[in-house]
Amino acid sequence: MKVIELKNLSKIYNPETIPVRAINDVTLSVKEGEFTAIVGPSGCGKTTLLNMIGGLDISSEGSVEVGGVSIQDMNESQLTAFRLQHIGFVFQAYNLIPVFTAKENIEFIMVLQNMDAKTMQERSDDLLDRMGIKNQKNRRPSELSGGQQQRVAVARALAARPKFVLADEPTANLDSGSTEDLLDIMAKLNKEEKITFIFSTHDQRVIDRAKRVITLEDGVIISDEHR
Amino acid sequence: MILSLAWKNIWRSKRRSFVVMSAVAIGVWSIIFMVSFYNSMTGAISRNSLQHDYSHIQIHHEGYLSEPGLGFQVKNPSRLLEFSSQISDIEATTGRLIVNGMVASPKTNLGIQVYAIDPANEAAVTDLPSFIIAGDYFINIKRNPILLSQKLAEKLKVKVRSKVVITVQDLEANIRAGAFRVSGIFHSKSPRINNGVIYLRHEDLSKLINLPDTAFNEFAYLLKDNESLIETKQMMEAKTNNMVRTYREIAPEFDMIEEGSAISKQVITVIVMLALLFGIINTMLMAVLERTKEIGMLRAIGMFKRKIFLMIVLETFMISLVSAPVGLMAGFLTNVYFEKNGGMDLSQYAGALEQYGGDAIFYPQIAQSTYLLLMLVVMMTALIGAIYPAIKAVNLKPLEAIRKL
Repeated sequence: MKVIELKNLSKIYNPETIPVRAINDVTLSVKEGEFTAIVGPSGCGKTTLLNMIGGLDISSEGSVEVGGVSIQDMNESQLTAFRLQHIGFVFQAYNLIPVFTAKENIEFIMVLQNMDAKTMQERSDDLLDRMGIKNQKNRRPSELSGGQQQRVAVARALAARPKFVLADEPTANLDSGSTEDLLDIMAKLNKEEKITFIFSTHDQRVIDRAKRVITLEDGVIISDEHR
Repeated sequence: MILSLAWKNIWRSKRRSFVVMSAVAIGVWSIIFMVSFYNSMTGAISRNSLQHDYSHIQIHHEGYLSEPGLGFQVKNPSRLLEFSSQISDIEATTGRLIVNGMVASPKTNLGIQVYAIDPANEAAVTDLPSFIIAGDYFINIKRNPILLSQKLAEKLKVKVRSKVVITVQDLEANIRAGAFRVSGIFHSKSPRINNGVIYLRHEDLSKLINLPDTAFNEFAYLLKDNESLIETKQMMEAKTNNMVRTYREIAPEFDMIEEGSAISKQVITVIVMLALLFGIINTMLMAVLERTKEIGMLRAIGMFKRKIFLMIVLETFMISLVSAPVGLMAGFLTNVYFEKNGGMDLSQYAGALEQYGGDAIFYPQIAQSTYLLLMLVVMMTALIGAIYPAIKAVNLKPLEAIRKL
């Protein structure tokens, strides 16, 4: 089942002055349960592509369908609701809420979804357990290591039960040990729970673990390797 | 949880929050202090004029206003004296015969208003004996005693027991003069009385101008409290065909003082609130700008604009909710302190204050409702102050924030 379908997608910056094609006529589909890495040199359009898939940016041409729903014509409020219900985000700099504990960070997104307290409690405990950070649940981000913070970020992304998780350079700030631990967790989630992950990355360790590697250059897909 | 997030966000920058909270608390305290101060000052001016000069109600002949003097004496004065026993809200009554005249000493002479009074009744209504600062209240001088204000005594260069000559016109416009001896020198809390009123006994003036003991052109009534003012006036009007007026009708300056005070208090409140408003806007704007990335992230993961708006408004609201009661409590305690320690002594400005009929000692006064009203005003100010920063936060583009990550 296709989770994401991009058709002839283009993103043109400064269309009326000096047009820059960040993404050029990309057609791509991602199926449920894929573990996909989007790779390529800096400035090749990885993040732009991820932003358009995540409904954070609007394409200039073409269409984006997520779970069979076109997000092209959604207004800002609809996009926000869509992101909340269907997409999990993991950022390079973790971007946790600094005043909340690990558990509160995970629960916050469920609060936004108006989940009931019992379900929320059970789910956050379960996620903390699966991420191996149960003992750190009452610690704030500043009291956690980078690897632990990124695990909280992944747990937060999963808390909302998204259709897929978009991770923009998730290991860029992690040491090798933390990177391996995080990749183990995500690979396990992907294998056991069929959670779809899409990464943008430079990190060879991530590329090595990916089941599909899409290479971009100058906004164009130059290779799409299924492993 | 948004409430919890807002509360925790306040304490991210403790120093900044402490500064804005202190500003709110000090602003609230200063308003309470100023309002109490104004209330005390205007209250003293009004109270002194009311209790020691005009009294609550006065009765005159209806022609007296157009031609004050002996020509328009009150009708049926004995009936007016009986009001005290007929109307329970009346505390005391006094009748006066007021006439313009001259007072002459060996050194100089001055134009004055002669108040011919019944000493006992006048004491009950205006508490005149309490203002005697030299001599006594019509006691030791048996023949033609007179009371002069300190100011007039100084101008006339006379002392207690000095002789002065009072010159007035009788009903037929004949000039009548009599020798009087200073029995007492007073210093009233009413500037008007200090500046030009002398007191002598009703019987002495009546003899001088050949009027009966029952001739009065003014009756003054002190009520037990101000609440029954209008009701008592109406009862009096029903019982007499003379003109009955309340002190507010006699002296419009009472309303002017109160309105002036109200305007001053409002202006001060608005100025302080404007200062707080800009302080709050500045602080919250800084808080929003510092959290651009975080707010962008919240928008990216699915936090709706209205919830971001609510979060910023709640932060502002809670800052005020914490600090305003501190200011209110500080204001309350300041007032309690002055109440328990003999008021605020402004004797060094006594001269200026007395010019306006005020007291040198201030006892802060503030209605309980003012605390509540001020709390509401601060909350409203905080809410207004939150709007611009909240709009700024709401308008942040999640993508721009993501790009900064």
